Amino acid sequence: MEERLYDLIFIARPATPEDEIKKVISGIEHTCAEKGGKIEKTEHWGTRKLAYRVAKHREGIYVYQQIRTNHGELIAELERRLRVQDVVIKYLTVRLDEDLKRQKKLGGKREQRAARRPRRSAPASVPAPAAPSAPEQAAAS
Amino acid sequence: MAEEQKQAQSHSGPPRREGGGGHGPGGGHGGPRREGGPGGGGPGGPGGRPRGKRQYFRKKKVCKFCVEKMDFIDYKRADILSQFVQERGKILPRRMTGVCSRHQRWLGVAIKRARNIALLPFAGSAAGTQAPRQVVPQAHGAAGTHAATPATPAAHPATPAAAPAAPAPAAEAPKA
Repeated sequence: MEERLYDLIFIARPATPEDEIKKVISGIEHTCAEKGGKIEKTEHWGTRKLAYRVAKHREGIYVYQQIRTNHGELIAELERRLRVQDVVIKYLTVRLDEDLKRQKKLGGKREQRAARRPRRSAPASVPAPAAPSAPEQAAAS
Repeated sequence: MAEEQKQAQSHSGPPRREGGGGHGPGGGHGGPRREGGPGGGGPGGPGGRPRGKRQYFRKKKVCKFCVEKMDFIDYKRADILSQFVQERGKILPRRMTGVCSRHQRWLGVAIKRARNIALLPFAGSAAGTQAPRQVVPQAHGAAGTHAATPATPAAHPATPAAAPAAPAPAAEAPKA
C-alpha cells in the first residue's frame, strides 16, 4: 500500500495545563508507534480565539500534527482515542496525499509548459488548438 | 490582410459588435447587460460588496490563485480564506471575487474544513459568541422552554412552578 499523509488538528480546552496536552500527544505517538505510523511534525499553535463557541468555550489550544502511515486504520484509532479524552473538544483529520500529488502534477505541468514555450515569442509559435485562424495566419504570413 | 482578419474573427454573420468575444470595458452596449454606475470592476477591489440588487458588480477577471500559481489552498490559512468570506461567514460568489471555477471549488472545500475546526465561523454562528437575545415572555406563554435568557422578568420562572398566589401568573394562566 502506498504511503498516506494525514493532517491531524485537535483543540484542547483553554486553561488546560501543559502536561495534560503532552499526555494527549504522547498517547498519539504511542498509537502511531504501535500501528506503524510516523509523526512528521507537531506544531503548537497555542491559544486561539474560536470562530464559534465549542463546548461553551470561546478559546482553545490548537495542536497540529502531520502523520505519515501506510495503514488507514491508524487514523480511526486515533480519532477514537481523541473522542474519549475530556480535554479535547474538537478534532479534525484530513487526508492530504492526493491533494499534494495533484499539486505536484499541476506544478510540473506548468513548468513543462513554460519550458516548452519560449517566453514572449511571436504568436505563430503558440500551439493553440482552439483558434483555427492562427495556423492560417501563419501560413499566409 | 486586415479585412481577412476581421472576417475570420466574426465568422458568425455580419459583424454587429466590436470585439466579438470581449465584454469588459466596452460599455455602452444595449441589450441584456446592465452595467452599474462604476461599470467594470476597476474601483471595486477584492472586498467589494453589492450596493443594490440590480447592480452587476463585474470584477476584473483575475483569479488570485491563478496569478500566484497556488495549486493547494491550505485550509489552515484562515487569513487567506477570510478574504473570500463575508463578515457573517458566508462564502462569497465567484462573480464578487473573480476566482476561477476550479479554484472556487477548492476554496469551498478549504473553507468548509476551516469551519469545522473553528478557524472560520459557520454562517450566522458568530452570533453564538455574543450574549443571547432576550425572549419576550408573552410570545411563548407559560411554556418556559425558551429559558435560555437569564435576564427575563421574575414572573417567567414563577409560571412553570405553578404558583397561584401572585396575580401576575394568574393573568398568564388562562393563556396556557
